Formats: sequence, structure tokens, C-alpha cells
Amino acid sequence: MSAPAPDFGAATMTSSPLVLEHVTKRFGGLVAVESVTVAVESGKITGLIGPNGAGKTTIFSVVSGHLAPTTGRVVALGHDITGWSPHAVCRLGLCVTHQLVRPFPDLSVLENVMVGAAFGGGARIAARDARREAMAVLDFAGLAARAEQPASALTLAQRKRLEIARALATRPSVLLLDEVLAGLTPSEVVQAVTLVRQISARGITIVMIEHVMHAVMNLSHRVLVLNYGRLIADGTPAEVTGNREVIEAYLGAGGDETPHD
Amino acid sequence: MKAAGLRPAAAAAPALGVALALVPLIAPHNITVLNLGFFTFLYVAQGLAWNILGGFAGYISFGYAAFFGLGAYTTALLWLHGWTPVLTFPLAGLCAAAFSLVVGVPTLRLIGPYFSIATIGVGEAMRILMLNLDKVTGGASGLNLPTVVPSKGWFYLAALAIAAVAYVTAVWVRGSRFGLGLAALRMDQDAAETLGVRTALFKNVAHVISAFLVGVCGGLFAMYFQYLHPDNVFSFTESISLVLIALIGGIGTIWGPILGAAVFFAVQDYLQTSYPAFHLLVYGVLLIVILLFEPRGLAGLAARLAGRRRVPAPVAVTPAAPGTVAPPPAQGGAL
Repeated sequence: MSAPAPDFGAATMTSSPLVLEHVTKRFGGLVAVESVTVAVESGKITGLIGPNGAGKTTIFSVVSGHLAPTTGRVVALGHDITGWSPHAVCRLGLCVTHQLVRPFPDLSVLENVMVGAAFGGGARIAARDARREAMAVLDFAGLAARAEQPASALTLAQRKRLEIARALATRPSVLLLDEVLAGLTPSEVVQAVTLVRQISARGITIVMIEHVMHAVMNLSHRVLVLNYGRLIADGTPAEVTGNREVIEAYLGAGGDETPHD
Repeated sequence: MKAAGLRPAAAAAPALGVALALVPLIAPHNITVLNLGFFTFLYVAQGLAWNILGGFAGYISFGYAAFFGLGAYTTALLWLHGWTPVLTFPLAGLCAAAFSLVVGVPTLRLIGPYFSIATIGVGEAMRILMLNLDKVTGGASGLNLPTVVPSKGWFYLAALAIAAVAYVTAVWVRGSRFGLGLAALRMDQDAAETLGVRTALFKNVAHVISAFLVGVCGGLFAMYFQYLHPDNVFSFTESISLVLIALIGGIGTIWGPILGAAVFFAVQDYLQTSYPAFHLLVYGVLLIVILLFEPRGLAGLAARLAGRRRVPAPVAVTPAAPGTVAPPPAQGGAL
């Protein structure tokens, strides 16, 4: 179990909605991501964890099209999306939320979600239909009561919900969530975890970067562990938490504390 | 979408347009009023056009004189070649629109002040280029145009018509899916991209639409003025005027450029004859006061006086009763 299962990617590559093949991203002399190969399972929740600076968000940026990989390929939903621009990746059905929430501050909550509904994947829809769809998504995300408020008036937990709602409105097949639980109070975390479960129940494949360990271990079917840009473990939450290399790299040597932070 | 979504301001615009259109019938020989109207409408149209890129998409350009000048020279040269001037207006617009693509594709990649500075360079480069292309533009001695022209009343109505087209265009853009994309990219380009907005395309389309309208204005101006000089139609002052009009009136709003242009020319007309150049000082003071106290300009001030609570945004939100989902006016009209 010390190394990721080498045959896993090849076996499921055809059915996987998101495949990274030897993705490497260098910034000058710094190797942020080093030859990561992984195939995400369809309809499941995959957790992506690792210490700060391990390259998690960089991987998301490479997938979303905000960064081009130095070498390697990204294949999503049957297309080689390496080098695609972010709007094209989104329209294909793969949407990323931002680690630091970025609502459009002067637009209302509803209009924020309408942007996703009007421009996301699937057929192009009229503004009126976008409004109706956005309202349905807000209902689902528990923000319907805030629809007419400016996004700048929301609390952090609500902004994170808005970030998720906006991404959901783009009708994604694959949703990449970047630390949607960070900064939330324990009760807000519980609510957000429920929301992630509900999204998954809709059949949307989810990959989530998360530092709130109990949540990610609870939610994920599979956990990938990244350290210094390399994938050091890949397995069920139980397998990963028992992995010595993970404990040493991620939780610190001699890790006897509860994995929470 | 429904009549309930229409604001009084939206109904006021057609009424105001019709009322203004009656002026030449009532006072066909009042040259002062007709001239003032012509210039005001010409700048209302340009302010509205500039605002589509500058206000809705947030790309502040100081180079629109290039579009105005290109439109003016397109009409002038075709007129000299025997065309009917009115028929050259669409070509004046197209010429300006084509040039806006040439400028916009590279410069609209720049963010914020970098874009603005680049447009200053483009505007000035065009002026100097035209000044030196004396075979085509007449260079420093200018270009004299035929003097057979319609009445002042005709020009007044033509400028009003272009202003009306610009108004309808601006209202349509703001309420459309396209306008929603512009608002999104103005506030956060990366987030807009992430949600599927083709930001590069949208910025360029906004630029092209506004350049087209300003080019048509240039064509009408050439026909009216019957004399063109590069230092005149390609001047930095012309570019700055559009920015001032939008800022004074309320950037990103529909009524801002309309109010801004009216105040701009009222001040200029009143002061220029008795105190030349004093109006520039007035604009400066006005600009500082507005930016300090009411960044939404006169339109924001008017809304505040009308007792409306407004979100400081081009896409305004109506105060809705809790629980009800009232369509914001932005999406209420078009589509």
C-alpha cells in the first residue's frame, strides 16, 4: 500500500470522466505537480488531500484550464482538454469552485447563479430560462431566501454555498470543489457536508480538496494524497489513514493525534 | 419580462424621445436650440456607446476618438467620391468597428489601467498618423467638404435618431445574456471564465458594438461640420469627453451617459462663449465631487433623490418584499 496501485488508471480509463496522464507542472525550477496519473471514478466522491503547498490547487487549475500542464494530458468526458480555455472546459461539463470564494459582488445572489446557468454546459438557454434554473439551484443549495440580496451581503458560509450553487448551475458532470469547508463553523460544516452528499446523489462526480479531515474521510469513496507534487497514496479513507507514508508526510512523523487539522 | 418589470425610467425614455423630436417642428428656425440639441444627442449616443465597453464590461478606453475620426473620414472621403453622405454612415460605423477589432484583440487582454494606457497610445498614434497621411486626409490643412446640406432641423433629428439607436442597444445589451456575461467579467474575469463566459469574445463584441455607434456619429459629424481636421476629430479631448460624460452621468448605468452629455454640453455652451476654457475647470471640479460623493454619478444621485434604495451596480436590484421574487429591472426588459 505504500505506492498507488499502478494498474488502476489503465483499467478504468475508458469509463472515467476525468483522467490525468503523467501531468507535470513546473513553475521555473519548482515542480508543483510531478507526473500525476489518476483516473477519477464516475459518480463517486474523490478526496484530494495533502499538506499546504502539495500541489492540490495546481492540479485543479490544470484541469480547469487556468494553467497549462508543462507535460502530460488531461482527458475529460471523452475529450483531451489539455490546453483548453476555462470557459470551454466549463461548457464541456467540468466546473471548478474557487478556494477563495469569488462572488460577483454587485450582482444579486440569483444573478450570480444565473451566470452559471446562462453560460455553463449544455444547450444555450434564454435569460428567462436561466433565471428559472438558477432559482431551482438556489432552492437546492438552501439560498432561495437570499436570492434578491447582493452577493456581497452574504456570510462566508453562504458565499461558499453560492460558489457551489453557481458551479452546479453550469450543469456539470464533474464538479471540483476546492476547500468548500474551510473557515466554516462545525455546524456549518455539517450542513455543507450534507449538501455535497446531495450533489453526489444526483450522479455528479465530485473531486474535493479538503483540509477538514473528518469530513473528507466521511464523504470520500476514495482519497488521493499528494505531497510535494507527487501522489503518495491512493485508496479508501481507511487504507489511506493507515498508510505510514501518509501519516509521516501529512500528519507528521509519529502521528498519534486525531487527524483533524 | 412583464409590464410590472418596467420602471418609470424605461417608459420615460420613449416619451422624452418623442417630445424632443417635436422640437424642430415647433421651432424650426431656432438655430441655437437645434445646434445644442444636435451636439448633445451626438454625445449622448457616443456616451451610451462608450458605456457598453467602459461601463458594462469595465474596460475604460481613452481612445474612442480613433473611432469617431475614422467614421468622420470614411463619410468625408466617400462623399467626395460622389456618395450620398447618409448612405456612408453604415460604412463609417463598419470602418470604426473593424479598427476596434484590430485594436481590441491585443489590448483587451490587458487588465485595468494597462488597457486604458494602451488606448491612449492608440488614439494619439491614429491622430499623428492621420495628420501625416496628407494625401488622404488633407493632413494639417484639413479636408473641405461639399456645402450642400440639409437643414439644422434634419441634423437635429438625425442625431436624435442615432442617440435612440444607441439607447435601445444599451438597454438590450444590459438586459441580455450578453450583458450578464459582461457584468460577470467586469467583476471577476477568472470566475466568469470558470462559469463558461467567453470573456475574450465578449469584450471584443462589446468593443465592436460601441465602436460602430461612435463611427456613425463621426460620419454624421463630418456631414454637419463640412470640414475635417485630424487634430479635431482624432483629438484626445474627444476621447476624454466620452469618459467624462459617462463618469459625470454615472458609469455603467443607462441614464448616466444621457444625463452626463446633457450637463456636459449645457456647461460648455453656457461658459465657452463668455469664459473660454473655464468649462474644463468646471468639469474637473464636477468630476472630483462626483467621484468623492456619488461614484454612480448623476444617475446615482437622481436615484438617491427619488428615494430608491439601489445597489451600486449597473444591474440594479429592486427592493422586493421578502419572499417574493421580483425580477430586477436589468433582466426585466429585453429577451
